[in-house]
Amino acid sequence: MFPHARRTRLLAVAAIASTVALTAACSGGGESAEANEDGTPSGDLLVLTWRTDLLEDGTFDEYAERFNEEYPDVDVEFEGLTDYEGEVRTRMNTDDYGDVLGVVGTVTPDQFPDFFEPLGDVEELETEYRFLRDKTFDGQAYGIPVVGNTQGIVYNKTVWEDAGITEPPTTPEDFVDALKAIKENDPEVVPLYTNYKDGWPLTQWEGHRGEITANPDYVNEMAQSDAPWTEGTDHYVIDSLLWDVVNQGLTEEDPTTTNWEESKSLLANGRIGSMVLGSWAIQQMQAAAEDAGTGADTIGYLPFPHQVDGTFYAAVGGDYNLAINKNSENKVAARAWIDWFNTESGYAEANGGLSPLKEGPTPDTLKDFEALGVEYLELTPAPAGKESLFADIDAESEVGTNTPDYRQRIVDAARGASGETKDQIFDDLNSEWAAGRAAVEG
Amino acid sequence: MSYVAKTAKYATLVLACLVTLLPISVIVMASLKTNQEFFTTGPFDAPGNWFNLENYVTAFTRGKMVQGFANTAFILLFSVAGTILIGTMAAYAIDRFEFRLKKTVIALFLLATLVPGVTTQVATFQIVNNLGLYNTRWAAIALFMGTDIVSIYIFVQFLRGIPKELDEAATLDGANHLTIYRRIILPLLKPAIATVVIIKGIAVYNEFYTPFLYMPGRDLGVISTSLFRFKGPFGGQWEVIAAGVIIVLIPTLLAFLALQKYIYNGFTSGATK
Amino acid sequence: MSNVVRAEAAGTRIEAGQLPATARKPRGGWGWRGTPYVFLAVPLVLLVVFTYLPVVNMFWYSLTSWDGLDKTKEFVGLDNYVAVFTRPELFRVFYVSLYYFAASFVQMALALYFATILSFSTRFRNLFKGILFFPYLINGVAIALIFVFFFKPDGTLDSILALFGAENLQQQWLGNPDINNISLASTSVWRYMGLNFVLFLGAIQSIPGQLYEAAELDGASRFQQFRYIIAPSIKPIIGLSFILAISGSLAVFEIPFIMTGGANGTATFVIQTVDMAFESLKVGLGSAMAVILLVIVLVVTWVQRKVVPEEKVNLT
Repeated sequence: MFPHARRTRLLAVAAIASTVALTAACSGGGESAEANEDGTPSGDLLVLTWRTDLLEDGTFDEYAERFNEEYPDVDVEFEGLTDYEGEVRTRMNTDDYGDVLGVVGTVTPDQFPDFFEPLGDVEELETEYRFLRDKTFDGQAYGIPVVGNTQGIVYNKTVWEDAGITEPPTTPEDFVDALKAIKENDPEVVPLYTNYKDGWPLTQWEGHRGEITANPDYVNEMAQSDAPWTEGTDHYVIDSLLWDVVNQGLTEEDPTTTNWEESKSLLANGRIGSMVLGSWAIQQMQAAAEDAGTGADTIGYLPFPHQVDGTFYAAVGGDYNLAINKNSENKVAARAWIDWFNTESGYAEANGGLSPLKEGPTPDTLKDFEALGVEYLELTPAPAGKESLFADIDAESEVGTNTPDYRQRIVDAARGASGETKDQIFDDLNSEWAAGRAAVEG
Repeated sequence: MSYVAKTAKYATLVLACLVTLLPISVIVMASLKTNQEFFTTGPFDAPGNWFNLENYVTAFTRGKMVQGFANTAFILLFSVAGTILIGTMAAYAIDRFEFRLKKTVIALFLLATLVPGVTTQVATFQIVNNLGLYNTRWAAIALFMGTDIVSIYIFVQFLRGIPKELDEAATLDGANHLTIYRRIILPLLKPAIATVVIIKGIAVYNEFYTPFLYMPGRDLGVISTSLFRFKGPFGGQWEVIAAGVIIVLIPTLLAFLALQKYIYNGFTSGATK
Repeated sequence: MSNVVRAEAAGTRIEAGQLPATARKPRGGWGWRGTPYVFLAVPLVLLVVFTYLPVVNMFWYSLTSWDGLDKTKEFVGLDNYVAVFTRPELFRVFYVSLYYFAASFVQMALALYFATILSFSTRFRNLFKGILFFPYLINGVAIALIFVFFFKPDGTLDSILALFGAENLQQQWLGNPDINNISLASTSVWRYMGLNFVLFLGAIQSIPGQLYEAAELDGASRFQQFRYIIAPSIKPIIGLSFILAISGSLAVFEIPFIMTGGANGTATFVIQTVDMAFESLKVGLGSAMAVILLVIVLVVTWVQRKVVPEEKVNLT
């Protein structure tokens, strides 16, 4: 009777179908062969990386080429993320976070099994690797560090020598005096650059926890303490030093406009005296110094200005740990990449860090530490069943020891921008921490 | 008008134009300087060579701007086409038919205009992910299409001005609704479609957060996100960032010069919903 | 646009007029009644999936302590809402919104001023109009970068001050927490003033010319013309803009997100919400914040509907 009626119905079906088709238009690229018939790795592999600089300059492409010499059937793709922690954290709300990735700091150990593939029994792996404990849960390792880091202060030797400083400061007071001397010698130089704006460089200060009391159990004990910011504790000493250098005007004038990439050349050119950064940064600073024509030797490395019985202590631990996405469709190739990267690539040596392998060589970058007789201190992992305790308290209290906000607040207060005093902040942190503990312990 | 008042009026206008143009002109100059020059000269110092396009080349090649433009174009094409199709269909149904749930449907659309998109992102994220659209261009396209009530509103407003007798005449000639929609309504809606294309086009070209959140993939950068990522690797190279900013600005400027009149109309009809 | 409509409509009316008046649509079966639903299917599906479903889910998340990663969601009742209202640092973001709200008054005043003077004959009128409006069309990321450059130490603003010998006024425009929000809000004024201005101009130009002529004959001054002719006729659009300013100042996101990342006391409600949900592992708390924002916006809009009747706002 009304042929068009039928046609409209058809149209309806078509319209709905097209919507469904649209929503089902799948991510694509997810296809990949598990492995070849004989079990050798093959297919597509997506590696997420925080080293956008190495992606820019083609280093990663070289790695991929060398990897392909061994595993010709794997097609490795890289994705560099500028705000690695934040963006990967967001992506982990989905299944789409690469095949291989560095474990972000905000994932708690009890969540590892939800997101990552177990890499093997930790005791077994420890015959070959070190620094594994940090990313272990229930006896299984979920990530293998690409390089081991120690902690310290990277500095421009010329600037310090010109200011007449010849001995490494052994106390926070000495350190502040040294920075003052630098400022007096040349008011144009920023004695210590915080890299406030990029945020993550401020989290590097956290790496020194444990060194002050030379106590490998410091973090585990902090999870049992209601007042970690009390005179003499590691956090108290570290944060007080940060407070003092900012408060006495020994840092950049406007912290909110700092710039990480720029800071490298500023240090190399002697516009900056020092920065608190892990040992991974030494090699990048040396490269910047080469570029600036001042030579890699201008860059030196100091331990945190604090000694226990006349000895410097420096914390060591894994840098980013490579893990395999639990939802990866190519776990064989992913595992091959991790093993190859840690044993063959030479990444650790190239970046001047401690090798993640037990038998790895000591890098040249740390000869300063060797000369000073710095003792390395590896923190004891949390006891079984309490792997997540510290992380949970940290998140629940919203202190966020590894977040930029925590130390940005100290910098803001110390430069008189927020009106808080040091003691107010410490009291506040203590009460937040205690409340967080109470909430977690239930 | 007195001479003084006239002078004052033009003085304020010129001042306003200066305030508008100065921040941009400074960026233009910065984009033409070499790195060395940039560090040694102030913002108002002219570049040594007005034709130093090196930063533009860097921005284009290393900043993945080409890819950004390609992705933006792709998203723009589908979102705009989809918006028009969906908007005209909805408007046709709402304006030309009486049906039982009409009031409810209209209320649903009206209520939706009150929900600021950025506030529901937390939950939208989970939905996009469950649909398997995360990290694809379709995420942005679906979101641009699915949440555009303003264009439906514009189409309905315009349809009201088109007499119903037209449809009825066509019905007598034996045309069905689909034919009427295709042959009569769509052609008559042309001016409204032009308006929507402009508003939507500018909105999609400028949108930052949706692609930033839903399309983190390396090959999925759009104009906004590519420019945003300049802050990382080029953090210390303001002259390259400046070039990137200008590259993004140029299409907007050209579109504005070519379509001025329509753009004003589009925004006045779109903003007063 | 309005002229086009009228022309089209007039043209079609003649054709329509030739129809026999008795012509009536035949009443059909399902096809007739189902047709509107067919046409509405896709729009409604998209509307529900991308607008209503998120809102409903958000309400649900806001009652849980979900972190976005865990596979389970634990129901916690109204705890999240209590937290938002009892924790001063979460509440601070409302205070930041006040800067933007105040800025929107400046924005409207400027827009009104320029709309008024440009509604009278002015040389280069289109050029001025174009320049004032153009910022509204610029990509937000580009604007943010332009103004980071503008405010950075030894940037554009500091150089202008130096030019006039006012070095002592140089500030850390984005670093000093007492003024950084003012800098950001000014950027927002620079960006959005053009839209207000064009809307006001449209409203003023829709006033019939005879009114002015009559006023001129009566010897009314420009100011009187503004007060008795212009002001009353643009009242509705000003009312509307005012309401939009309230919800707009709560939903500020792009400029501070790109320029300062929300550090140093510049976090706005939306930045805080997004950070909470995606980075601080607190989807529940973030959702509660979003729900509160949504409720505020709805209340404000409801007030607007009461105060400014809709049919009065008609620009086209």
